Amino acid sequence: MIALTFILRRCVMLVLVLVAVSVLTFGIVNVLPGDVATAVLGDMASPEMVEAVRERMGLDRPLDARYLEWVGGVLHGDFGRSLQHGQPIAPMLLGRLGNSAILGLITLGIAAPLSIALGVLAALRPGHLLDRAISSFAVGAHAMPEYVIGLLAILCFSIWLPLLPGSSLMDPNENPLNRPEALVLPVGVLVIGMLAVISQVTRAGMIQALGSPYVRTATLKGLPRWKVVLKHALPNVLPPTVTEIGMYCGYVIGGLVVVETLFSYAGLGQMMTNAVSYRDIPTIQAGVLVVAAAYGIGNLLADVAALLLNPRLRG
Amino acid sequence: MNAEPMLAMSPEPATLDVTGLSITYGAGPQGLKAVRDVSFRIAPGEAYGLIGESGSGKSTIAYAVLRHVPAGTVSGRILLNGQDVMAMSPQTLAGIRGRVVSMIYQDPMSALNPAIRVGEQIAEVIRQHRRGDRASAWARSVALLGQVQLPLPAEIAHRYPHQLSGGQQQRVVIAMALACDPELLVMDEPTTGLDVTTEAVILDLINDLRHALGVAVLFISHNMGVVAQVCDRVGVLYAGQLVEEGSTAQVLRAPRHPYTIGLMNALPTIDRAADRLVDIPGRLPDLRVVPPGCVFAPRCAAVQDICHAVMPTLEPVGTGHDSRCHERDRLERLLPAVAPATASDAPLPAKADGGRPLLQIVGIERSFGRAPMLALPFLRRRTPVRAVDDVTLDIAPGQTLAVVGESGSGKSTLARCVAGLLRPDRGDIRLENQVLSPLVQQRTRPQQRALQFIFQNPDAALNPHWTVERIVGRPLQLYGGIARGAALRARVVALLEATKLGERYLERYPHEMSGGEKQRVSIARAFAGDPRLVVCDEPTSALDISVQAAILNQLRDLQQRHGTSYLFISHDLGVVRHIAHRVAIMRHGRIVEAGTPAQVFGAPQHPYTQALIAAIPTLEPKRLRDGTAGRLRTADGMIDA
Repeated sequence: MIALTFILRRCVMLVLVLVAVSVLTFGIVNVLPGDVATAVLGDMASPEMVEAVRERMGLDRPLDARYLEWVGGVLHGDFGRSLQHGQPIAPMLLGRLGNSAILGLITLGIAAPLSIALGVLAALRPGHLLDRAISSFAVGAHAMPEYVIGLLAILCFSIWLPLLPGSSLMDPNENPLNRPEALVLPVGVLVIGMLAVISQVTRAGMIQALGSPYVRTATLKGLPRWKVVLKHALPNVLPPTVTEIGMYCGYVIGGLVVVETLFSYAGLGQMMTNAVSYRDIPTIQAGVLVVAAAYGIGNLLADVAALLLNPRLRG
Repeated sequence: MNAEPMLAMSPEPATLDVTGLSITYGAGPQGLKAVRDVSFRIAPGEAYGLIGESGSGKSTIAYAVLRHVPAGTVSGRILLNGQDVMAMSPQTLAGIRGRVVSMIYQDPMSALNPAIRVGEQIAEVIRQHRRGDRASAWARSVALLGQVQLPLPAEIAHRYPHQLSGGQQQRVVIAMALACDPELLVMDEPTTGLDVTTEAVILDLINDLRHALGVAVLFISHNMGVVAQVCDRVGVLYAGQLVEEGSTAQVLRAPRHPYTIGLMNALPTIDRAADRLVDIPGRLPDLRVVPPGCVFAPRCAAVQDICHAVMPTLEPVGTGHDSRCHERDRLERLLPAVAPATASDAPLPAKADGGRPLLQIVGIERSFGRAPMLALPFLRRRTPVRAVDDVTLDIAPGQTLAVVGESGSGKSTLARCVAGLLRPDRGDIRLENQVLSPLVQQRTRPQQRALQFIFQNPDAALNPHWTVERIVGRPLQLYGGIARGAALRARVVALLEATKLGERYLERYPHEMSGGEKQRVSIARAFAGDPRLVVCDEPTSALDISVQAAILNQLRDLQQRHGTSYLFISHDLGVVRHIAHRVAIMRHGRIVEAGTPAQVFGAPQHPYTQALIAAIPTLEPKRLRDGTAGRLRTADGMIDA
């Protein structure tokens, strides 16, 4: 019952956040100097030409009317036309989103269990060799931005040891799963970035749980160590870790932008980078909205998972 | 392998035989010698109590029996059924934990795993040690929950710990400990976190089970009344040493060690008249550098020259009664006699009762869980809980009004409303017929000065970054107008001397002081502004008995000197008996009974008051487990509901 109200409340909050994000992106992009008309025509256009284009694109109408029209379109799956390609944004966006989702989900699927496992291993004997190795790796990886890790990965595995393609060079409509070898390096870079954070969160939670009175109770019941760790400590560490993974969704999306650009992977991130450099404002708006929605849904799912894992919150 | 002949050799087989146990935390000569050369035996089916104040090493010993000493170095021998616990392989050790010896903990809420159903927490012990299938282990788990007298055990088994009350949680922990029919139960302060009525039923349960199952018990407690209810024999620990040992009647009724005698004199009870408690001066010795003589010598009232030079050994003073004291046979002459309660001394001398009340609490109401500020969709409105429900009380000048209640009774909420820390929903606080603003920051300086507060936990109430001089000097500057310099320092020193601390404490920080010393600083701070009324919210419940006596005496002395009134909040009827001029019993936010201590404790009218008084664990031999227990069970049921 409490869980249901919680989920409903969070859904309402998500919708409110998306409305706020849409207002902000639409507003900021339209307030910035150099509007869409200038962007289309370039710097050499005469004021008359700009005015004509503004009128044709409806940019002379008031901001709120334009916003409502845009939102109406979005609700019907119409994000407008790309200035760069002159084509409707929605189909392109969908394809790119799918590609990015494949990259993101594979990353999550590998990194979440792996980082929890590493965090637990490190917490078993804090300060000992294994913990130091895992923690040093995590801190080191966390200190390095994705593009550094990515470039190092390309250097190692496609230039010195030409095992894997350093660039996806894929057609936007191609299914990335058909060429799994092109996925290895981008996923690897994202996984390393995520391991760094989540394994340390798990480690800290696990150390705390292992020092708790209920773990002492379990030990003094005569349970073997593995059972104490996996059955008694881990279930109490998972909810905060899962919440943390949800927060990390935003980081993964940010990482996607870098990694997709680096590996020429035709995903949402690459589309956004291109749109920004071409000042393709409708595409930017659509992209930001989709990213915000993905982040919000990711967080929501993580919170629901944490809720289901925690009997105290379940009510 | 060594264990077998040893068992055969010993005259009578003991369930637990501890010999020369020493436990040191930290290495080298600077190690903290928490337990030193402790030896005791527990026969099958016997209940042995270890009494001690904080720092005595009693819990360390309890956990050492299960070889759970994470940071310490252990020497000596612990034989459990003739097997040396310290020499066991990890597998053997895991095999006896939960099966031969099991533990009951102080705080059941944190001892139970919050993420696992209580039935499963019991069933897994059974599966671990008895290799039964899931269904039979679960069935036994439900049966155990029934055996510890939980209603609807089959349903309770499916619950999580947070869905149970404190008393129910402790029953679950007991059921878990009994799961594999152990031969020894180690209980570490099993009722300390519980309300007195819940404590009484849990003690009854422990006694019933102990007699029914014939299990031996090692019972750790600081509460002599509780120990008297459960134990056959008692050992008294001081600073890691056993100083006295004997039958419960011998040790608690006719103690033969100055420390035990001191503890008895410091214990506030409701049947003793309001005579002065005798505190034990001084504090625990530094256990890193143990003195060569008797560890208790610096605090002992019967101390002789030999005591500082030679450590006494445990010597018999009667059949099965030992005392570690050089002067064990001359104590009656050496110890100053405790003044018996005389008519002139008790009840508390009070200022004239005739005048107008100093403080009036008029129709105070306060609820929690009201509708949230922001009405978001899907936010459910929770039904508010009435913490304080229409309370009206008066406090006369120079007198103490004690408000007594169990947890959740609303007594602390009432204190916070009086102090202006919480805004009451309805009602007035009047000081000398003047209505005070509901919140302290809206009250005038003279009003703030007139009404001060002493909190339960001095650790949280004193700024850790301030020296004592600054802590006590602050209200002087605020209310007294003494800006700084020598005059301020002189006043602070005077206040510290009045609370028996003195000038050497000026530069100290809170972490450099013991709990009792910190609470004295809180008292000095409260009295700095020369208040008319001090709200004392459980001021001694975090302190040891010997220190509590000193603090209570201190509060009485200050009251007589300054004519200050107290609103004294407590759960401890014995403490209240010694400090209060009037007593109000609070339950579910309402005052159920009020009167003088003699009326309330002598002839309680309300059934709840009667249940509270009956529930207090006294030093008397075990209560008859029929009539009283039945009544208490009703009280427990009402509270657990």
